[in-house]
Amino acid sequence: MHKNWILFKVYLLAGTFTFSGGMAMLPVIERELVGKYHLIERDQLYEYATLSQTFPGVIALNNACFVGKKIGGTVGLIAASLGAISPAFVLMLAATIAYQMIPQEGVVLSIMAAIRAASAAFLFSAAYSLARFNLKDAPTIILAVACFLLTVLNLANAPTLIVIAGIVGVVLSRVKQVKRA
Amino acid sequence: MITIFLTFLKIGFLGFGGGYAMLSLIFQESERLGMTVQQFADLNALDGLIPGPIAINSATYLGQLYGGFWTAVAATLAVCVPSFIFVPLFLHYEEKNNDNWVLTAILDGIKPASVGLILAVALSLMLLTVFGINDIGAWSKASLDWTSLLVLGVVFFLDSKYHVNPVWLILLAGVIGGVVYYL
Repeated sequence: MHKNWILFKVYLLAGTFTFSGGMAMLPVIERELVGKYHLIERDQLYEYATLSQTFPGVIALNNACFVGKKIGGTVGLIAASLGAISPAFVLMLAATIAYQMIPQEGVVLSIMAAIRAASAAFLFSAAYSLARFNLKDAPTIILAVACFLLTVLNLANAPTLIVIAGIVGVVLSRVKQVKRA
Repeated sequence: MITIFLTFLKIGFLGFGGGYAMLSLIFQESERLGMTVQQFADLNALDGLIPGPIAINSATYLGQLYGGFWTAVAATLAVCVPSFIFVPLFLHYEEKNNDNWVLTAILDGIKPASVGLILAVALSLMLLTVFGINDIGAWSKASLDWTSLLVLGVVFFLDSKYHVNPVWLILLAGVIGGVVYYL
């Protein structure tokens, strides 16, 4: 089988069976591309996985682009990307069309209201687990609380806060470097 | 269609740190496109049911909702653009690149910020579902919905403590909503 075809197939498989994307697809990629087809070294794959997380954009797609480009050049990049994107696109499109056809009345309305409450719970849960891993010291806690308050009080929007937080991150890292030196 | 394309281009470029970090951006930017908090809550529930990255799912959903198939394609491609630009660029200059600490540092700032941002989105959804109001300023009009509060509490507990598959949790919520209707 041609390597670009393999790339498409492996990322399609990983994209179909991993929820919420990101690093969840990594074990499948590793099993197929490292174990079965020997197209990439394990260390290299993990290096790209780490890099993917630091780049802007969709993490799973960054990963597909790195690995695809390395293995099959530009064509490989396109093949892996198409594989990574298309399951989400096709399934979500079908789900949205189905969703648009649901009549919003009677018992359906009551069911939807409960599901929306569950949806809110998922976000609280995501915030909680993100907080556990990322709020380690005073500056990070202050940053999180400030972003929360500024958003709730409608004083700043998300793009602005993200840019500022990025700059704060760079400054803090610089301060640490200077202290160590 | 062009507005949605540009919106998701912006979301892609500012989208450091993965799905949940991007979600607050998606929430605010799509509110400007006319999306209601209800539609966003439904999108977030669909995210739990459909595999794939949150940003791709959101782009497809909003594109389809606000323009149909081709807008969905355009929005999905827009959110992918940063990856197509930055990854090849990085690989091209790989040997010369020692500035990786900058990216890591940016992320170190954005990750904690995204905790606050996502909590704010969660609060918006809670105000809508549990108290029936659209923002905290309308507090005097709030009315407590016990069913939603119960669902929110139970789902949060099962998700954060036992990591129950979201598909089951959404099903559970749906069943509770259905039963309550006939009580």
